[in-house]
Amino acid sequence: MVTIDLATLPVREANEQLRRIGAAGDDVELINPDARHHLGVGLTSPINVTVRGSAGYFCAGLSDSANFLVDRNVGWGVGDNMYQGSVVVKGNAGAIAGVAIRGGEVVIHGNMGSRSGQVMKAGTLLCAGNANFMAGYLMYGGRIIILGNSGEKVGEDMASGDIYVAGKVESLGSDATLIDLPRDEVDSIMEFLDRYEISFKGHFQKVVNAGKKLRYATSEQQMRSIPFFSFSGASDYWNAKVQEDIFIKAQIGRYRIRGYGGARELPHLSDLAFRKDLSSAGNDMGVLSRVAMKTEIGGINGANPLTLSMPVMVAPMSYGALSASTKRAIGMASTLSGIAENTGEGGMSDAQRDAAEQLIFQMLGGRLGWNIHDMQRANGLEIYISQGAKPGLGGQLMAKKVTPELAKIRGIPPGIDLRSPSRHPDILGADDLVIKVEELREATGYRLPVSVKLGAGRVRDDIKIAAKDGFDFVELDGMQGSTGAGSAEVLEYVGIPTLPAIIEAIEALEEIGARERIQIVLMGGLRDGVDAVKALCLGADAAAFGTSAIVAGGCIACMQCHVGQCVTGIATQDPEHEKRYKPGVESHNIHRFFESVRFQIAAITDGLGYTDVRQLSRDDLVAVTPEAAHITGLPYEPEYRDINPDLQMQAG
Amino acid sequence: MCGIAGILFKDEGATRSAGEALISMLDGCQHRGPDSTGFALYGPTEPGHLRLRFIVGEDSDADTAIGRIKEALAKYEASIISEELIGTNYRLTVAYAGDIKPFAYAMEHAAKVVSIGSSLEIIKDVGSAHDVDDSYNVHEYKGSHGLGHVRLATESEVKPESAHPFWATGFGDIAIVHNGQITNYWKMRRRLEQRGFEFTTDNDSELIAVYLADKLSQGVELRAALETSIDDLDGTFSFLVSTKDEIGYAKDRLAVKPMIMYENDDLVAVASEEVSLNRLFPGQALNTYEPPPGTFNTWSRSI
Repeated sequence: MVTIDLATLPVREANEQLRRIGAAGDDVELINPDARHHLGVGLTSPINVTVRGSAGYFCAGLSDSANFLVDRNVGWGVGDNMYQGSVVVKGNAGAIAGVAIRGGEVVIHGNMGSRSGQVMKAGTLLCAGNANFMAGYLMYGGRIIILGNSGEKVGEDMASGDIYVAGKVESLGSDATLIDLPRDEVDSIMEFLDRYEISFKGHFQKVVNAGKKLRYATSEQQMRSIPFFSFSGASDYWNAKVQEDIFIKAQIGRYRIRGYGGARELPHLSDLAFRKDLSSAGNDMGVLSRVAMKTEIGGINGANPLTLSMPVMVAPMSYGALSASTKRAIGMASTLSGIAENTGEGGMSDAQRDAAEQLIFQMLGGRLGWNIHDMQRANGLEIYISQGAKPGLGGQLMAKKVTPELAKIRGIPPGIDLRSPSRHPDILGADDLVIKVEELREATGYRLPVSVKLGAGRVRDDIKIAAKDGFDFVELDGMQGSTGAGSAEVLEYVGIPTLPAIIEAIEALEEIGARERIQIVLMGGLRDGVDAVKALCLGADAAAFGTSAIVAGGCIACMQCHVGQCVTGIATQDPEHEKRYKPGVESHNIHRFFESVRFQIAAITDGLGYTDVRQLSRDDLVAVTPEAAHITGLPYEPEYRDINPDLQMQAG
Repeated sequence: MCGIAGILFKDEGATRSAGEALISMLDGCQHRGPDSTGFALYGPTEPGHLRLRFIVGEDSDADTAIGRIKEALAKYEASIISEELIGTNYRLTVAYAGDIKPFAYAMEHAAKVVSIGSSLEIIKDVGSAHDVDDSYNVHEYKGSHGLGHVRLATESEVKPESAHPFWATGFGDIAIVHNGQITNYWKMRRRLEQRGFEFTTDNDSELIAVYLADKLSQGVELRAALETSIDDLDGTFSFLVSTKDEIGYAKDRLAVKPMIMYENDDLVAVASEEVSLNRLFPGQALNTYEPPPGTFNTWSRSI
């Protein structure tokens, strides 16, 4: 037994020691914990850890196989995302005890706080006292055993799993119901209680999902195909698209879900032009060697940065929305072009990890696929707050795509119309967020950049919070970004376009003198190197491409991503359809697209008279529409309107 | 977006340092709010005397503001007993026995009032708990109770006047600290403005202070005002309130914002996180209690 005194050793060093001692197989005692946060975070050795006092937030968070005993209380999120192992708390637990656990056992001898077991996937959470408000909120699996009273709204919006209550069921949550308790389950509970030496006499009631909200009553119909580009049309009033929309609503009787993004005229980067005449840019293939483009993202606070061969990344897209083969092709292309790929929501597969040299691992509110092992093999960690196509909402994945294999990696029941939670269990404000960021850093030894994906909404406020909470970079996503499935009204009418998003972000950071404290990767409908250079001129440190990468890799933009029957094998989980997709071929197509972006960035930077992309500035741009001039504060110079298309032709 | 703390020493006599206790509690949760820190502290009272605190800035700004304050005081026939310029604050004790509400608004119009009361002094500025202590000697404040707050500015600016605690403008000796967001802010503010209350910031937390002041001025007990606040205020909140003799809390029904408390024979301490409570008792495991959603309580030092 090794003793670590937290009165003298900071938590960060204590956790590092804990991992070293754990690897050697010794047990550890933590003294003077005084309710400090993040004790034991990221520990993946099967050792016993005793906390002699109270622990703060996320005790034993993101751990696997270790056994924790806490003499007194724990703060929010005990056992967060634990894989296997156990945590026994002799006192009370704060809110979200056992949040997002993937297995293992969390035992609270006292009471537990609100929303305990939120988004848990497997394992057991036991509370010998009373539970508070909304125990089992949005749980996907596993079991919660409450020996005292349930608290209000127990099982609120649970998708699966079992909740056993011995005390009073104060009220049931939405879509939760009481059922008879099978005998063998009682035996299993009693065996569990015996194992933890908890004496109990009494009867249980069982709470399960009532099954009324897991699926839409009507499934999505195959719709008539209109290619996205004509679908967008010139008018956003009465046109073929509006007609189609009404037809579909007349069939399904509710709002419509589709792939891709907002398809209407919005102020965008194409409303800007370069001040200099670039008509001869692109004639000289030698620019690639003359312009410095190598860009490091994420290292400003001391983490190992992503090293990009040009200021470009792949935008986050999930395995789930996209097929495994597509994710593999994009990963391979990112490696070939020397840029970074991003997992999106759906977890990290081995194929994806192997294909992409630099891979950011994304964490969403449902914690689908999120786990310590994949965190440790990622090159960056990203907290998703929202995306440009549907800010404020979680991802949607229709039942057809929720195959058993996909459900397993995400830790959810197969075959449900998955509407991912829009909120994180443990991020309800900037104050909680800072503790969460710290947890991710603790779990990975401060090696990895931690970024935030922000759909443009209240950019001015949000980006200030991102800088203050210590993120290394922000992936800022405007409403021209696309999605695999979203409700049509949201895609078209919610969100802030990419252009004002970057302007507001830069202004807000300058307002608080924090421009140097965070890097910005801009995305949301960027189509080529011209857009990327404009993003850099406006102040972004890099640009990211999602839709363009998919189109480069064979997407025909039919917008049926949500249906799951993608004819190109991209947005599908059906092996018959996926067979059509050839990652070997498509990865090279995507790679070639990224190389065209590289050439355009180099040619324009050179044409503007610079040798380094970091020399680009606002002064290189003018606005060609009054709206864009108003948004950006750039001079309105409509006579530049004709120069831009020429440039795109030549550089493309 | 913040951390909050409150303490009440139950034993009579102002020998304990509420200031010192709050500094270490806030230092424990400074990660929740690095932008600014504030304290509401209570000193001994003198009949007929009022303590006033203003933010006046520095140099010529301060001179101008102090000039205006003195003019306003003279208009209300309030005579200065003592005065001091400390940090960016102008702190003074005056003899004034009239109605406090019109007096307070006159002061508001003269300069930025931080607090007015027979006992209350609010000390707040940008920076950490220790920064604010260095500038304003918070640790020297004895007294039986007080509140503290660390702030991470989200929507309003990082300025001393946007920091907490907020004084219930027009109503002496009442202060609040709040963690959360009041979503029916404008609706409630308009209602209160129609009743003659004035707001000095756009910060939603100020609303809670004014709301409570309004209730109390109608003769409602503090406990009853806390109870109705849970229904009347929309959004997320855990807030603490202090008066001359008591502290209290209210917590929203959604339990989105943390709050944890500890009580023994000597004291009651409430904070956002247990780590702050443990600062008062290093090395000890405490029997703490998390108030359920939608609840409120008060503790009085006369018990």
